[in-house]
Amino acid sequence: MSPLIQARDLGKKFGSRVALDHVNFAVQPGRIVGLIGPNGAGKTTALRAVLGLTSYEGTLEVLGREPFRERAALMSEASFIADVAVLPPWISVEHAIEFVGGVHPRFRADRARSLLAKADITGRRRLRELSKGMKTMVHLALTMAIDARLLVLDEPTLGLDILARREFYDALVNDYMDDTRTILITTHQVEEIENLLTDVLFIDRGRIVLDCSMEDIASRYAAIAVTEDQLAAARAEQPFHERPLLGKRVLYFERPDLQRLGAFGEVSTPSVADLFVAKLSRGAPA
Amino acid sequence: MNTYVWLVKREFWENRAIWMIPAAIGVLLTLASLFGTVEATFFDSAERTRSMAAMMFLAFGALFFAAMSLYSYWYLLDCLYADRKDRSVLFWKSLPISDTATVLSKLFVALVALPMVYFAAADAASLLAAFVLSVRAHARLGNALWQPDLWLQLQAVWLYVIVTTAIWYLPVTGWLLVVSAWAKRAVMLWSVLPPLAVILAERLFIGTHVCLRAIDDRLIGYVSRAFDGDADWADSWSRDQPFAAPSAWHILDPLGFLSSPATWIGALVGAALIAAAIQLRTRKAD
Repeated sequence: MSPLIQARDLGKKFGSRVALDHVNFAVQPGRIVGLIGPNGAGKTTALRAVLGLTSYEGTLEVLGREPFRERAALMSEASFIADVAVLPPWISVEHAIEFVGGVHPRFRADRARSLLAKADITGRRRLRELSKGMKTMVHLALTMAIDARLLVLDEPTLGLDILARREFYDALVNDYMDDTRTILITTHQVEEIENLLTDVLFIDRGRIVLDCSMEDIASRYAAIAVTEDQLAAARAEQPFHERPLLGKRVLYFERPDLQRLGAFGEVSTPSVADLFVAKLSRGAPA
Repeated sequence: MNTYVWLVKREFWENRAIWMIPAAIGVLLTLASLFGTVEATFFDSAERTRSMAAMMFLAFGALFFAAMSLYSYWYLLDCLYADRKDRSVLFWKSLPISDTATVLSKLFVALVALPMVYFAAADAASLLAAFVLSVRAHARLGNALWQPDLWLQLQAVWLYVIVTTAIWYLPVTGWLLVVSAWAKRAVMLWSVLPPLAVILAERLFIGTHVCLRAIDDRLIGYVSRAFDGDADWADSWSRDQPFAAPSAWHILDPLGFLSSPATWIGALVGAALIAAAIQLRTRKAD
């Protein structure tokens, strides 16, 4: 299958600051890809390029289109939630449904209404009267009622409390996701979406530092909890990162030889969050 | 086409002042005609009654037109700025609507929809006031303030003014849209500062006044282009001598307006500025 998103040599500068340093990546259909990176790493720039919100260098193809030139056409097959609370405050829930229904060929108003009924949100209220969590649910309901092939979420739960965040992801997984859809998502709360993801893309200082499926993480990376007496021997195997944990030290290895490393201590697969920290920690291992 | 209908509807939802301001003015004028003092001498002859009617219709029209001009200025500055300020531009851009359609819909509201609303409100208020005054004056004066021929002429003047001001002021409209699509804050200030800066710079460094004259002529040159300058009817009215209501057909100068090169140079500049506003809208996501 040809990829849904294909970026080749994708670059973007703001003045002299390089936001995207000629990166290559592809997103295959049916995947849920987490684009993960520290603040200012280029996540939002990458997403904006994919959504046609910004110009760029290099080539980028999304759903077979050139996003910046064909944003309007692209948006009939892709949708996005960029940040929380960007719905206009003056619009009422019902007007928002009517409007999207009026301009979007793949929007199903009845579906949006039933999703909102589930969340106990009534149509006559204006967005400015709703709580942040409710606004997010309205936006999600509007977006989920669009039969889109690609959904892009940029920090969709930023600033929400844990209940609202859980509700958001539950709705996304249970009411939206199926084999025909593809989701590209960025968030700081990596732990919360770790179980959702099928792939991760780590981005740092404008570069892709890891592009890997979740299955591959297990075979490519290992974390080994080593006691003090084994430490010197384990370090000789060249871990790329280490950190202290409950009196032991956890060493991270890439493409590990588990037969040999297993002798140093308990082997586990690092979580995405741990791998992220390990990969992006600056400087030499402590 | 359907998208444009929804976009215009959207503008009416967001900017309720589009119809609330003219409605409020209409109510105030109706109240004034209901409870204001009616001087008997104004209606003591058919001639005077006719002159009163002409005065009233013109005054009503001028009042509505002045309010509309002020509101249009504010609307044009706000229309591409408000959604960037509250970030809802990210929501609008997630829908399959081109930036060209967005900008053109706002242009349509400012140049067509808004004037039609004010025109309708001015008509409704004028007719209502004429009716009220007829009843009140009839009871005491025996003369009806009801002048259908005058009223029909006023319709022609309104339509003529709507069309000709839209063309003549297109560069101003385009400039306001550019500021609205570009400025990060203080749109009012940005709408006047750059022209002032250009005028001052030209005066200081080159010592000429070309820009000043061009801007000055654009702002105040409308009346001399669109109306016949010889009809100095406005000064002819006094208390002793009944105001000679001019015939609209004598004061309108469509041929002069359409054959003036300034009209079409302005229209071209305006079109270029509108194209620039569309480009800015495409490139700036917040």
